[in-house]
This record gives sequence, C-alpha cells and structure tokens, in this order.
Amino acid sequence: MATEQTASPADQAAGTPEDIIVVENIDKWFGDFQALDDVSLTIKEHEIVVVLGPSGSGKSTFIRCLNRLEEHDSGRIFVNGIEMNDDVRNLNAIRSEIGMVFQQFNLFPHLSVMSNITLGPQKVRRMARQEAEALAMQLLERVGIPEQAEKYPAQLSGGQQQRVAIARALAMQPKIMLFDEPTSALDPEMIKEVLDVMRELAQSGMTMIVVTHEMGFAREVADRLVFFDEGAVVEQGTPSHFFENPQEERTKLFLSQIL
Amino acid sequence: MTNEMPVPDPAGGGIAPPRARRVVLPPYRQRAARPRSVRAREWLRQNLVPSPTGTLLTVVTFAVLAAILGIVAWFIFSYANWRVVTDNRWLLFAGGFPHDQEWRLWVGLGFVFALVGASYGMWSSFGRRDILFMVPASAFGVFMLAHGGAALWSTLWFAGAVVLLAVAYFACRRVPREHGPGRTLAVRALSAVLMLSVPIVFMVLMAGGGADSDELSGYLLNLLLAPAGIVGGIFVGIPLAVGRASKLRAISWSCTFYIETVRGAPLIGWLFVALFILGDIIGGDLIVRTMIVLAVFTGAYMAEYIRGGLQALPRGQYEAGHAVGLPYWRTLQLIILPQALRISIPPIVGQAISLWKDTALISIILPLRELIGSSRSAIAQGEFITNRIEVYVFAAVMFWIISFIMSRVSQRIERSLGVGER
Repeated sequence: MATEQTASPADQAAGTPEDIIVVENIDKWFGDFQALDDVSLTIKEHEIVVVLGPSGSGKSTFIRCLNRLEEHDSGRIFVNGIEMNDDVRNLNAIRSEIGMVFQQFNLFPHLSVMSNITLGPQKVRRMARQEAEALAMQLLERVGIPEQAEKYPAQLSGGQQQRVAIARALAMQPKIMLFDEPTSALDPEMIKEVLDVMRELAQSGMTMIVVTHEMGFAREVADRLVFFDEGAVVEQGTPSHFFENPQEERTKLFLSQIL
Repeated sequence: MTNEMPVPDPAGGGIAPPRARRVVLPPYRQRAARPRSVRAREWLRQNLVPSPTGTLLTVVTFAVLAAILGIVAWFIFSYANWRVVTDNRWLLFAGGFPHDQEWRLWVGLGFVFALVGASYGMWSSFGRRDILFMVPASAFGVFMLAHGGAALWSTLWFAGAVVLLAVAYFACRRVPREHGPGRTLAVRALSAVLMLSVPIVFMVLMAGGGADSDELSGYLLNLLLAPAGIVGGIFVGIPLAVGRASKLRAISWSCTFYIETVRGAPLIGWLFVALFILGDIIGGDLIVRTMIVLAVFTGAYMAEYIRGGLQALPRGQYEAGHAVGLPYWRTLQLIILPQALRISIPPIVGQAISLWKDTALISIILPLRELIGSSRSAIAQGEFITNRIEVYVFAAVMFWIISFIMSRVSQRIERSLGVGER
C-alpha cells in the first residue's frame, strides 16, 4: 500500500535511503515521569538492533513509539521516509510496514490460528481469501507449526502462540519487525523455539528491533546493541564492543548483573 | 507470600514421599464394576440418609414437596376450570386480531419456528433435554388448539409450523460445521434474516390488508414488543458502550448522561413518556412509540453490560489490532466487540428475560392489551368471574415458557462460544 517514496521531501530530512528508521530527539512523558529523554537513533535497512536496559529504562516505550502505540511528545520519527505525525494516512502506511510481536503474544482468542494470520492481509491489504490462506500456511510452515492452523490460540503452548504471533506479523509483509520482549512470558523450554524463528528471520534480511534479555541471542544475531537507562541511550555498539569492552559505568553494572 | 515460601518447603519435602506412597487410589474400574443396586444404595445413603439430622431433613423436605405437588395437581386436575382459558384462547393469544386473517398468525409462527430450527441446526444441535422440553410444549399447544371452533385447521397449521422447524433444522444440519466459504455464506444469510425477523413478522401480520396496529394484542403483543425492545436495545447499547469508553469527553459525557438518566427512572415512567410526551411530539403509532421506549430503556442497561465486556479485554487486544494495521473502527468491529459481546452474554440475556416480563407492565398504563390485559378482559366476562386464578396461572406459565427458553439458549450460546476461550 505504501509505495516507495524515495523522492518525497520527508526523505531528505530522513537521511540516506537505507536509513529505514530515523528517530530525532524524541521525548515521552507519562504524567510527571519522563520515559524517553531526547532519544535519537538511526536504523539501516536489514539491520538487527537489540535494545537492552533495566526495567523501566524506556526500551519498551521506545519501540512502541516506532508504530505509535505510544505517541511521542516531541521530536520526530521517520519510518521508511514517512513522518509519524497526526496524519492518519501516514500512520496507516507506517503500521502496514511494521510488524510487531508482543511479550504477551496478544493473539485474538476468538479467532482460529488461520484467521489470526489472514485477518490483516484480508482486511488491510485487501488480499483474496485463498491467497491470504496460502500465505498463512506458508508462514506457519516457516515458523514450524503448519498442523496448528485450525486450532484456537488457547489450545497452543506459549511458544507456539508466540510463533503464530510472528507469523501474523509477517503476513502483512512488513519491512521492519519489532519484538517487545518476545520470550519473557515463556517457559524456559519454549524460549529456544521462538529464538530459532527469530534467528531465521534475521538471516533472511529482515530489519529487526528486538527488546530482549536473551544475551546469547543478542551476542550472536545483533548487528548493534543499544543500551537504555533512565529513558536515554547510554551506549551503543557492536556485540563485541558491548560484551568485551563496554565504556560506560552503567552499562558495566547492568552487564555484570545480567550475565 | 514469597517470604513464606521457603518455610513450609523443607518440611513438605520431608513428608511428601511417604505420603505419596500411602495414598493409594482404588482403581476406578473396580468401583464401576460394582452392581448397580449397590451403587444406587450408596448414592441413597450419601445423599438422602447420611445422618439422623440429614434423614430428618430429607423426610421433611419430601413431605413439603409432596404437599405442594398434591396441591398443584389438585388445582390443575380438579379445582381449576380451564374453560376460561380454552374458551378465550383467541382473546388471550391474539386479542383483537381479526379472525379472518388467522392465516397470518400461522405463517408468522411458521416463520419463527423455522428460524428456531435453522438456528439450532446451524449453531447447535437438539439434545435430549430440548426434546424433553419441546414434546410437552407442543402437546400443550395442541391441547390449547384442540377445543372448539376451527380446531382441526388450527391443529394442522400448528403441526405445519412444527414440521417447518424440523425441516429448517435438518436443512441447516447439512451445512458443513467447519469454517469455510459455504458455511460463512449460510451463517451470514441466517444472521441477516434473524436480525430482520421482527420487521418481517410485522409485515406478515399487517401488510396488505392485515391487522391494524391497534388490533395487535394478547400474548402476540408481548411476543412482538419484547424482541423489538431486546434487539433494538442491543443496537442502542453497543454505540453507547463504545461512546462511554471514548477518549472524547463530549461523547463519553453524553453517553453517560443518557445511560444514567434512563436508568434513573422506572420503566413505567418511560412508558408514560411513550403515551403522552412522545405522542405529543412525534405522534405516530402507539405500538411503535412503545417499541422505541423499550429499546431506549433496554439500551441503557445493555450499554453497561457491554461496557463491562469492553473493560474486561486487555489493552493488548487493541494494540495487536493496530499493529496488524487495522484502524480504530475496524479493530473495534473485528477484534474488540466480538469478544466483549461474548463476555456480556449472560447479563444481556438476564436483561432480555427481565424485559420480556416487563412487557406485562404495558397493560397497566397504556391502552394496549398484552397477555395480562387480555386476562383481565377474559375474567371481566361475567361467565368466568370466579376463574381469575386459572387465567393468571396460565399467564404466568406463558411468561415462564419464554423465560426458560431464553435462559437455556443463553447457556447454549455460552457453551458453543467457549471455543478458544482464554
């Protein structure tokens, strides 16, 4: 739906064409509490960014701002060259380019797995039913649970539900995938199956922004790690920089607690 | 709690293994294999004569039950003169409906029965309990019809309606149960007819030389008013519930104002509004005005129940809808309302039953004779002046039948929608 807008004026403001997400100086307040404090970040196409930080550091708020589940109070956000503002057309264009996976899965419990996945393509992309179902089956095979298509979410394990949620997000054929602590609500033995799917997705060239506490995944898959504390980006760099040679005291403290 | 956890843990750890060995459950099959008479005796002992006090209570209860049953049986078969009901069945059921238009009543009944059968066939299936209810209900219907005048014809019409119910049931049983294009089409068609059923029945009864609206009375009137109020109430209630939850203050305050105002006065007061105020302002047909008031009144209650359902849904459902790219209204329509309405089914049905019985209020203030009003007319004939108990008992049973069906159907819906519950 959102066609390439390489020539739009917004794009100039948004830096080079491969900068798929540009965040400029955003602030976010919840009442008196400042959740994001002057955050700027640029993410390139096909980049895999893992966002780390203690709880309450603003990392979830940050990725929720990227598809406007939270509205930023000041600063600017460009996704795929389109500015995120009060224009609903922009918002819908951006949202159809961004898939999101939640900590609590948030599958639609009244719909079968198949309908969960085909809903977006059919209602937003206006895809024909057969086509959407074929796509859904393809995605369910990709996440490894094609046999669960006719079940309802409550009949699946947590790991399976999260894989359905990934398939649901992928069904919109997004350019970017956001993961908000995708394994935090899972039993330990189910974490791997979800991380495997995410790893495969990363290898396929998807642009991914992942909030997680899975350090192994971060070290192995991330192109860049971004460390948040008290609503601000404290430090960022490659995994080797981050795990072997962190510069900031807060980063060192956090890593010493979590590793 | 977390602080207390370690304390019982080591102790429990020490005790648990021997306890696990000690508790040996008797094999289930061994119990099941015991002779039926032994099991029956066991059941009797446990449930009826467990102890001296328990036995006494059982005896007293049975005595009271027997006395009540005896009185009821004596009333039904000996004391009561049911001629007041059977002789007045036209008055009680159809009131002032013109006799020469009787076929319209039967066509309407056939339509409703067909819808009942189709709905059962599509979404559920008849179980033993449904048959247990339907057989005596049909027998009661035939008994009511099998006296006097055109008894044969009415009985045939009634039988025809029952046949229609069965045909629609078996036709809809043939629709595949699994989700698919054929089923989707059938479900949509049936839902559309169900939603339009009240106007359709009105057309059948009134269009092209049928009854005038002031001729609609008796049980028929209750049966017409209640669904109009219930269906209308749901359609009024949904936007009110959504509006009350709106972020826009102007909208949420207006919806709250509406709900609190309507719920702040008794139905009888609103019926006066239908009779006098609405009559002066918009005029028009009294039955239509009454329906509007019933829908407006019920809508305020429905809105609160639906709002409860809306609030029970986690915010993540909205977020997931948005994240998939659905705009607000589509999220509401496709994700939120289907779940909220399902949660609200029990209180919605409660309100529906309540409104069904409240239709009896209409005859108190409005010049409309529903079943209770017709009952009074029946008594007012000199011949039956001593039979008021029979008429009111009959009216009570007629109200009970529909209430009972509604609560059974609600249980069905809840159970069949339970699939995929959180």
